[in-house]
Amino acid sequence: MRHIRIPRTLLLGWLGVFAFSIAGESRLQAATLKLQVQLIWGTGDDHSPDPKHKPLESDVKAKLKDLPLKWSNYFEVNRKDFEVPASAATKVPLSEKCELEVKSIGGSKLEIALFGKGKETLRRTQTLAKGEMLVLGGNAPNATAWLIVLKRLE
Amino acid sequence: MDWEAQLKLQAFLDGELPEAEAREMADKLAREPESAALAAELRQTGALLAGFEEGIRLPESREFFWSKIEREIARPEKAAPAPPATLWMARLRRFLVPATAMALLAIAGFVATRQSGSPFLLGGAETETALADPGAFTYHDYASGTTLVWLSYPADNELADDEEAVTVE
Repeated sequence: MRHIRIPRTLLLGWLGVFAFSIAGESRLQAATLKLQVQLIWGTGDDHSPDPKHKPLESDVKAKLKDLPLKWSNYFEVNRKDFEVPASAATKVPLSEKCELEVKSIGGSKLEIALFGKGKETLRRTQTLAKGEMLVLGGNAPNATAWLIVLKRLE
Repeated sequence: MDWEAQLKLQAFLDGELPEAEAREMADKLAREPESAALAAELRQTGALLAGFEEGIRLPESREFFWSKIEREIARPEKAAPAPPATLWMARLRRFLVPATAMALLAIAGFVATRQSGSPFLLGGAETETALADPGAFTYHDYASGTTLVWLSYPADNELADDEEAVTVE
C-alpha cells in the first residue's frame, strides 16, 4: 500500500486556517455588545426648564447638528449603559411609558424595537459599528422633540 | 609484441588458453626472450598482488559483506516507484499553496468585514423589517455614521401628549 506524504507545513497551514475561522466565527457570535442609550429632548431654547436635564456631550451634539433637524439645543433626560449578549434581547426602559428592546443577531447587526405605552411603534434591523449612532425621534409639544440615541461602546 | 599477443600471454599465464594454443605459447616463450621477459614480469606482478590480497581481512564474514552489497544494490530498485508520488505531491502542492493563501485572505477579509460592520460590504447598514408607523422616514449621514429614524407621532407621551405635524426641516 502506497503512503501519500503531504507536506507538514501545508497540513499545519490548513489546520491553522480551520482553527482560525472557527475561533473567529465563534468569537464574533459569542461577543457581547456594550451599548449606550440616551433619551434626549430637543428645543430651540438655550436652557431647559427641567433642572434634571443635563447638557449633551459634545460629540453627540455635533452629530445631531449634522442631521436635518431644526432644534438648536439638546438636553439629556436619561442615559443607560447596557450589554446585549449574543442572540439575546435586552429591554431597556427609558421612561415609564417608553422602552427600547435590542437584540444581537450576529456581528454588528442588531434588531431594535421601540415600545410606547407597551405598544410596538418601530422594529428594524440595524448594523451598528463602534462609533456609529442610531437616532430615533419624534415631535413633542411646543415645537420641541424627543430623541433616543443608541450608540455602540464596544 | 603487439597488444593481442600480450593479452594472449596473460591468458596463458592464467591457464585460460586451450591446450593447443597453450602449447604454441609455451614454444613461443622458449623461442622469444622478449615474450619470456614479459611473462616473467607478469608472473612476478601476479605473485605480488596475490601476496598483498592475503594480508587483507574483512571485518565481517564473507556472507555478511556480500549481503550488504546486495542490499545496497536492491535499495535503489525499491525506491524507483517513488517518482509518480513525488509528481503527484508536486501537483498537490502547486494547488494547496495558492489555495491556502486565498483562504487566508478570504477569512481575513470576512473577519474584517464582520468586525467593522462596513455597510458597503455587508449590503447596507440597516433594513426595515417592520414598522408600525407608516409616516416614519429614515435618513443616513454616511460622514458621521448616524442613522435617523423620524416617527410621525410621539412614542414617549411623557414628552409629548398630542400629535403634531412633522417639524423636521
